[in-house]
Amino acid sequence: MHIAVFVKQVPDTTEVKINMETGTLIRAGVPSIVNPYDHFALQAAMELKKAHGCRVTVISMGPPQARSVVQMGLALGADDGVLLSDMAFAGSDTWATSYALAKSVKKLGKVDLLLAGMQAIDGDTAQTGPGVAQQLGIPQVTFCEKIDVDGKKIIARRLIDGGHEIVEAKAPVLFTMIMPKDYVPRYPSFPDVHASLKKPFHVWSAEDIGAEKRYLGLKGSPTQVARIYPPPLREKAEMTSGTAQDAVEKILAVMRREHFIGE
Amino acid sequence: MPSMDAISRNLMLDSLKAYARKNISHDFVREKDQANEFPAGILKDMYDHSILGVHLLMVPEEYGGVSGGTYDIYRICETLAHIDLGIATAVFATFLGTDPLNVGGTEDQKKKWLQRIAKENLMVAYAATEADAGSDLVNLRTRAEHVLKNGALAGYRITGNKQWISNGGVADLYTVLALAPGGPSWFLVERNMEGFVPGKHEDKHGIRLSNTAGLSLDGVYVPKENLIGEVEGRGLLQAQAVFGYTRLMVAAFGLGAGWEAVEQAVRYSQQRIQAGGPLSDKQGYTHKLIVPHAVRLEAARAYIEETANRLDGGEHGLQTEGSIAKYSATEAGNRAAEDAIQALGGYGYTRDFPVEKIKRDIKITCIYEGTSEIMEMTIYRGRWQEHLKTRGRYYADIADRMDALHDRNPNVGARSAGLALRALAAVMEECRLQKLTRHQTVTFKLGRFIALAEQAYVFSEAAAKEKYSESVRFDVQAWQAMARIFARDAALAIAAEGPAMVLGASDGAGGLYSAVNMEEVQAAQKGMTADMDLVAAKLKQTFKAK
Repeated sequence: MHIAVFVKQVPDTTEVKINMETGTLIRAGVPSIVNPYDHFALQAAMELKKAHGCRVTVISMGPPQARSVVQMGLALGADDGVLLSDMAFAGSDTWATSYALAKSVKKLGKVDLLLAGMQAIDGDTAQTGPGVAQQLGIPQVTFCEKIDVDGKKIIARRLIDGGHEIVEAKAPVLFTMIMPKDYVPRYPSFPDVHASLKKPFHVWSAEDIGAEKRYLGLKGSPTQVARIYPPPLREKAEMTSGTAQDAVEKILAVMRREHFIGE
Repeated sequence: MPSMDAISRNLMLDSLKAYARKNISHDFVREKDQANEFPAGILKDMYDHSILGVHLLMVPEEYGGVSGGTYDIYRICETLAHIDLGIATAVFATFLGTDPLNVGGTEDQKKKWLQRIAKENLMVAYAATEADAGSDLVNLRTRAEHVLKNGALAGYRITGNKQWISNGGVADLYTVLALAPGGPSWFLVERNMEGFVPGKHEDKHGIRLSNTAGLSLDGVYVPKENLIGEVEGRGLLQAQAVFGYTRLMVAAFGLGAGWEAVEQAVRYSQQRIQAGGPLSDKQGYTHKLIVPHAVRLEAARAYIEETANRLDGGEHGLQTEGSIAKYSATEAGNRAAEDAIQALGGYGYTRDFPVEKIKRDIKITCIYEGTSEIMEMTIYRGRWQEHLKTRGRYYADIADRMDALHDRNPNVGARSAGLALRALAAVMEECRLQKLTRHQTVTFKLGRFIALAEQAYVFSEAAAKEKYSESVRFDVQAWQAMARIFARDAALAIAAEGPAMVLGASDGAGGLYSAVNMEEVQAAQKGMTADMDLVAAKLKQTFKAK
């Protein structure tokens, strides 16, 4: 079984500051990390590899420095690394990115399982993973927290409101992964990192994957970001706790105090 | 060994930081600090190949390591020091203990021992110091006597006592300096050897998470294959050969722990409201307790990096540079930690806040691997020779280079750095003419002036680069302002204190007053307050209150 995992390099949003005057992100000095959902997807792939001996390819798209997240995947145990890096990709929206990633999957040949993080913590769109499935014309299962393989069946445990559901699928299929509460991210050791340098790593351009330039980059993107701005600051929130009855009483008291309702 | 690629290095740093975030909280180190306890579990994880494998940095790839270069090791040491200096010291002791092997070991010895260190996760200790032998090893008392078998040398019997050995009580392998018939030599001693007894864990002022103990060797027999290099009398040379590099590691400790203290103070200052506003907005506070330390630490960083890159580029020795780096970074860090307590006021004086412990921990960096005073002496010795050899051109030439840099880029403090270098050259020349270096106090002060002037020009050059190294967390505007502040301070210190020092030890300062060009040094102070305002604002932006 061949698994492809998509990873994205993102700014560590816990460290990002916003310039309140211009409304832009201050990126200087902010460390780049592997998107946490993708990190979990990588680990899920490694567990499958451990249990079933799958081959794992880690794929990212980004500038040359995004090699870092691919190498991290290799250090965590992936077998091959691919970085889609080309000026033609710059400025791609989720549609154009899905198109390029789907093309790279086709170039890889037979891929049974595709794993992606539910969303990236910088854009928060949750569109790219599903977009890839759509481009490839394969089924997708979103919001998964666990994947198992049983013979030809692939079983996913998927989060839904108020519980979870178990979904069975047949390869090829794409899953997007959430992060379970008890999940502990694993980081590669020094010798793992060192060994990752010897694993196959490829940089592919738009031409390499046979992508048409009119579907790529800013020009090939059907959506464009008009403006980024910090949400207006809200006044201080009051939190209530206790039983539902207690909470209702407390909320009513606040509403009376603030004259939202009469006595 | 040349450094590894930046991506691999940063992945390793990320793994180390993630491990520390999860396992080494402030409460944890505080508890161990109070209990004076070595965190054996943490060190075990750090050596575990599947968790971190930090010790593999010092081991070349062919022996199962990851072949870290000087730059890599500096970055790891800095990060470790941010976490806890005691833990950092435990790791460092293994690095240091491995060094005599790396430098002087035969191929067979490297193969055997480095492979064992890598594979079996051996914790190593470096055992040179004795009661009467510290920086000066002339009085080394530990002896290694020949043991003959059928008339041929079979091994050595080592007898003596070592003290203040980091990892002394917990190491598996010890590199022990002993006086063999052919002179001081390094021997490999295993913990389980008969006659070898580690002493009790010392009750120290700081780095209490680092195990420090004496060693007692009572006729410990080691086979002749355990003599590093298999030739007697090379011990001191082998120790000297790595000082440039081992001192850089301690410099990185001063840098990391010093910055941790400054960061704590910067974050606190934004939350503490006094007299209508946060302390971080008050010049009297920031420009005294925070900004000067950030500036000195970054100057030391520039110097450490320059030296690390030169070592990785294949230059050998660099003892004077290693000493300047260690002296400057550890003294800057120590002062930064001292003022971080002041910056936190009463809170800083309690154990609830980390700065109190950092202050106790960081003091050791001004002591071990050569005290600050030994550094002043070493720096003076190294550069005095250059001054004599070049007939005073050594610093004058670099000053010319600074003037040229100033013409290309007037924003990096090169003009002031040039003034500092020229003043230094003039002071040294006056000392030569009046034979003032017969006073030890003069030589030590010269050591300090040299460190200031050299950092000033190295910082100016680094700040003028198009792209800064990965470790710099500030933008061009901030880093150049820091370079300007440092160079102005350096020029002022040398121009003011140099002639005062000469006069103090002689009948007159000759033409030194005009040679140090105090008028221009004073004029160059223009813009100082604005630069400090800028740095204070950038620090606030970079280290937000949590």
